[in-house]
Amino acid sequence: MIRFEHVGLRYGIGPEVLSDINFTLAPGSFHFLTGPSGAGKTSLMNLMYLGRLPTRGLVTMFGQNINKMKREDMVAIRQRIGVVFQDFRLLNHMSTFDNVALPLRIVGKPEKEIQSNVSELLEWVGLGEHMNVLPNTMSGGQQQRIAIARAVVTRPRLLLADEPTGNLDDEIGERLLSLFEQLNRMGTTLVIATHNQMLMDKFPHPRLILSKGILTIEESKFNLRKKLEGLF
Amino acid sequence: MKVVPLQKKEKVLGKVYGKRRYDLPLNNNENTRFLVILIALMSFLATLGLSGFFTLGAMAERWTSGLKNNLTLEIPAETKEGRLLSAEEMTSLTQAAVSILSSYPAVESHTVMSREDIQKLVEPWLGEGTLSAAAFPLPGLISVKTKPGTERKSLEALTEKIHSAVAGARLDTHESWLRDVLRFTGALQFAATLLLATIALTTIIAVAGAVNARLSVHRADVELLHLMGATDRYISRQFQRHALLLGLAGSAAGVAAGSLGLLAIGWMTGEMDVNLLPQHRLSLPQIISTATTPLIIALLAVMAARQTVLQALAKMP
Ligand SMILES: Nc1ncnc2c1ncn2[C@@H]1O[C@H](COP(=O)(O)OP(=O)(O)OP(=O)(O)O)[C@@H](O)[C@H]1O
Ligand SMILES: [Mg+2]
Repeated sequence: MIRFEHVGLRYGIGPEVLSDINFTLAPGSFHFLTGPSGAGKTSLMNLMYLGRLPTRGLVTMFGQNINKMKREDMVAIRQRIGVVFQDFRLLNHMSTFDNVALPLRIVGKPEKEIQSNVSELLEWVGLGEHMNVLPNTMSGGQQQRIAIARAVVTRPRLLLADEPTGNLDDEIGERLLSLFEQLNRMGTTLVIATHNQMLMDKFPHPRLILSKGILTIEESKFNLRKKLEGLF
Repeated sequence: MKVVPLQKKEKVLGKVYGKRRYDLPLNNNENTRFLVILIALMSFLATLGLSGFFTLGAMAERWTSGLKNNLTLEIPAETKEGRLLSAEEMTSLTQAAVSILSSYPAVESHTVMSREDIQKLVEPWLGEGTLSAAAFPLPGLISVKTKPGTERKSLEALTEKIHSAVAGARLDTHESWLRDVLRFTGALQFAATLLLATIALTTIIAVAGAVNARLSVHRADVELLHLMGATDRYISRQFQRHALLLGLAGSAAGVAAGSLGLLAIGWMTGEMDVNLLPQHRLSLPQIISTATTPLIIALLAVMAARQTVLQALAKMP
């Protein structure tokens, strides 16, 4: 699904934010991405949703080298990826409903299907009352939920969520995490960037840990224990 | 009356607006008004320019239609030496000319103008009543109609023949006058065409400029649409639809104003009773082209928007 080989990224003439990143994520996997602020989590996600090209190394998404990809192929891949941006990036001139419906409209889904899917999803994230409200009149947590709804509404094959629970209380945070797990069970590959230690403990998934531009993978304790149990 | 709960009303409104939904906030900006006004002005000018073009065509037509295939044969009332011809002499010369004309194959018909006809023709210059004296010398005039497609050579031969029979006779083909009129109106029509081309170009440049400005204002949103998997065509359609609405609104207003202006001009020239101008009657081609002007201008706006967006997007990731 995702393969990074000796990937480096720098902004302009600045220092390398990411240096020699190597990892492979299997289809259907679920990873947390963590590390101190400024470590480059958002930058790494940017490479994964084709927001930028790496300054060096090889990034393979859905089996295709993104450096050699044509514009049309990028469109097809981006339509299979859902992204929750750290800064939400909602469109403030359109209603909550339209924001969430946008990815469906882009791929040309029939309006009837859009109406029912979007309404249902918004009810589910607790924004059923706010469908016709403009996003910038809502609280940070509400906007975050709109961003999440928009990212999952197309049932993407890959979901990249950058601090999706940063503005949410633990209860809603957990509720959304279980939505992510549900998606994962239906086949979506997930990468979730987070600082939230409690959440990572509660949902035992392997962690990609970024520090000083280097990435290490840490199997979750839960998984380790399962593996150990399997050994004996 | 049943009161609709606010929530429901909002949803209905949402649906109505849904049809006119913009993925980019293109519809609420002052630039929009500027562009509409500019397009309206351009359409106004285009309407006047078009009308000028057609009026010139009608003018040339009117000035020349009576003259094509028409000749005037003039028999002077005095000899080269300045001796006045007697009535009998005039009649016999006229007879001679008429007999040549009747037998000449390229001549379709000819009419000897009566003294009264000629009098009417010259009266405006000489004043009424001055010619009542029958003795006043008037040239003999024969209006000649040639068959369509008569060649210049044939006319020259005719002139030759008449000259040998009737000394001092003049055959006026109006040719140089015709040529001048056509050249003059042709030049003016060319100027009108240039004006229309300039209008089209100005519209295209203005739309392209506005689109580029909007693209840079909404760059982040455009990028977002890209990241969500929107194709370039999808994004350019947003701009095209916007350009279509602006173009139609502006050009419809401009053409309407232009047509009112033309009515006013028509009324003024009607009051003036200018004989040189053709009757201000709209021809079918003029009506059709004026009616399609808003469509053409809106189409230009759409194509300019499309081209600009696609070019700009090709440079974006
Ligand atoms: N657009 C940019 N231009 C220049 N430098 C940038 C840009 N975006 C990020 N950086 C730099 O890259 C480094 C990593 O930033 P990034 O946003 O990826 O970190 P992060 O791990 O997501 O941090 P946080 O946890 O605070 O969100 C930072 O030093 C930042 O200054
Ligand atoms: Mg970040």
